[in-house]
Amino acid sequence: MSLAAEAFVSQMAAAEPWPESATLYQPLKEDQILLSDCASSLAVQAYLRMCGLPVQVVCRANAEYMSPSGKIPFIHVGNQVVSELGPIVQFTKAKGNSLSEGLDDVQRAEMKAYMELVNNMLLTAELYIQWCDDPTAAEISRPRYSSPYSWPLSNILAYQKQWEVRRKMNAIGWGGKTLEQVYEDVSQCCQALSQRLGTQPYFFNKQPTELDALVFGHLFTILTTRLTSTELAERIKSYSNLLSFCRRIEQTYFEDKSS
Amino acid sequence: MAAAMELRCWGGDWGLPSVHTESLIVLAYAKFSGAKVTVSPIDWTWKTLTATVPELLCGDSAVQEPAQILNFLRKRRCNADYELTARQGADTMAYIALLEEKLLPALLHTFWVDAENYANLTRPWFASRSPFPLNFLVPSRHANTALSRILLTKGEAPLHRITEVEGKIYSDAKECLNLLSYRLGTANYFFGNSPTSLDAFVFGFVAPLYKASLPSSPLQSHLRQLDNLTSFCDNILAVYFSSDQPCPPPPVQERMDANLQKLTQLVNKESNMIEKVLLLSFYRLFAWVHGCIWQMDDNLRSSPQHKPHRPEPKHSLASEKSSTPA
Repeated sequence: MSLAAEAFVSQMAAAEPWPESATLYQPLKEDQILLSDCASSLAVQAYLRMCGLPVQVVCRANAEYMSPSGKIPFIHVGNQVVSELGPIVQFTKAKGNSLSEGLDDVQRAEMKAYMELVNNMLLTAELYIQWCDDPTAAEISRPRYSSPYSWPLSNILAYQKQWEVRRKMNAIGWGGKTLEQVYEDVSQCCQALSQRLGTQPYFFNKQPTELDALVFGHLFTILTTRLTSTELAERIKSYSNLLSFCRRIEQTYFEDKSS
Repeated sequence: MAAAMELRCWGGDWGLPSVHTESLIVLAYAKFSGAKVTVSPIDWTWKTLTATVPELLCGDSAVQEPAQILNFLRKRRCNADYELTARQGADTMAYIALLEEKLLPALLHTFWVDAENYANLTRPWFASRSPFPLNFLVPSRHANTALSRILLTKGEAPLHRITEVEGKIYSDAKECLNLLSYRLGTANYFFGNSPTSLDAFVFGFVAPLYKASLPSSPLQSHLRQLDNLTSFCDNILAVYFSSDQPCPPPPVQERMDANLQKLTQLVNKESNMIEKVLLLSFYRLFAWVHGCIWQMDDNLRSSPQHKPHRPEPKHSLASEKSSTPA
């Protein structure tokens, strides 16, 4: 989105209150969605719940093609469509809902830095395992990704996606990494998050922020998704404060609604 | 330390020990940690094409990429992060991720994709530091890598054009510089009184943007308004690199270099290439011969029993821009 369009959107957003009919779109939950998309989607859902903004989750097979940026998830609020966590956070801020309002400049810098750490390490590692680890790509990612389409198209789309992700990995220097090195990076990232969290309930003590939503989205999805190997989840399980952090957010923001 | 460590990197200019971000990170960390590293610039050798830069050679092992080299140095007890707490170590990782995700795309764009900067600064510099046939190859190779990295990491869908992501990467980068400025505050270094690996990374990313004389860069003018970040760079340069400044070359070369530089720029700007490239090669040949004669003349005059050495005339012909001290 261009800067002018962005400014226009945020001005438009400020004018209207949050409607009841807001919807979040993601790929089919049972047969299609992949680990990384599921994590990003859960992060946005957690963020909106923390803000107290109601949203209805809708699964669509073509969600990726509906999204303005081609990324999952996106929300449809009133007559606007916004995709990905960063722009959604800005969008809700324009509507007067912000979780990071109480932070000072240094804390906000820290929050942004840790959010980039999660994107740079966890998200990239998820993509790597999905598309660059051959057993996972063949058994899980390609069949699931292409499940809504029929034969020649399903293969074409799945391989095109895989090729795209692999090119990206080569560009950022992850192309030559082994699976073991990727697990090691995930461990390091989790150790940093665990150190930063310490014994606090949330990263910035009492109040959750978008960082908490993002970390929860990724860790919870990795812990609850079955892959060809359990190694990724095992790496996270060795940090007990991160596990109780996930449980805490799940209980506070997700359980009362479902029961 | 058993074996001597040799670091291959791009050479310095613009008042910096190296103009290349990754090389600068490693050089700064080596200074901070007190590692004894012999620096061997790859300029004017075929390594400009073949080597992965920076590369640390130690005995039989070769380590590449800044993060790996820093780990290697830490294992050899050259650790600038020894006094950091675990929490500060975590912060270091997070801020490095911030730099890579938010600042790096805009830096690559500023130096390698922006047409004006590339034609007037980056390409002439890297072309002048590569030996003859490679000077046509090395800069464009870097530029292609930079462009595809930006498109693959920040482009929203395949086949999207670069203009669509420019606005976003620059606003991200400005925000990143602001956040770094807030985090640094009035301190000299990011953690306490001595520099650590985070300082090396921030210095490596920010210093080239601060020191390069870019013809057009909104990001550079934004950086110049953040006084604490610019004085952070100046401070590190003054404390750790002040003795490294190369001595200014003799004035004759300077005049010659100015002409060469003008010619290079002319060639770069105009599109009708072939004739001008030929002209430039002739001029270079002339300059080289001229340089040799001067060198011999100089050497003969200064010391009767001189050893003729090769690299110096080479240096004089190719260091087009190195003669402008900041």
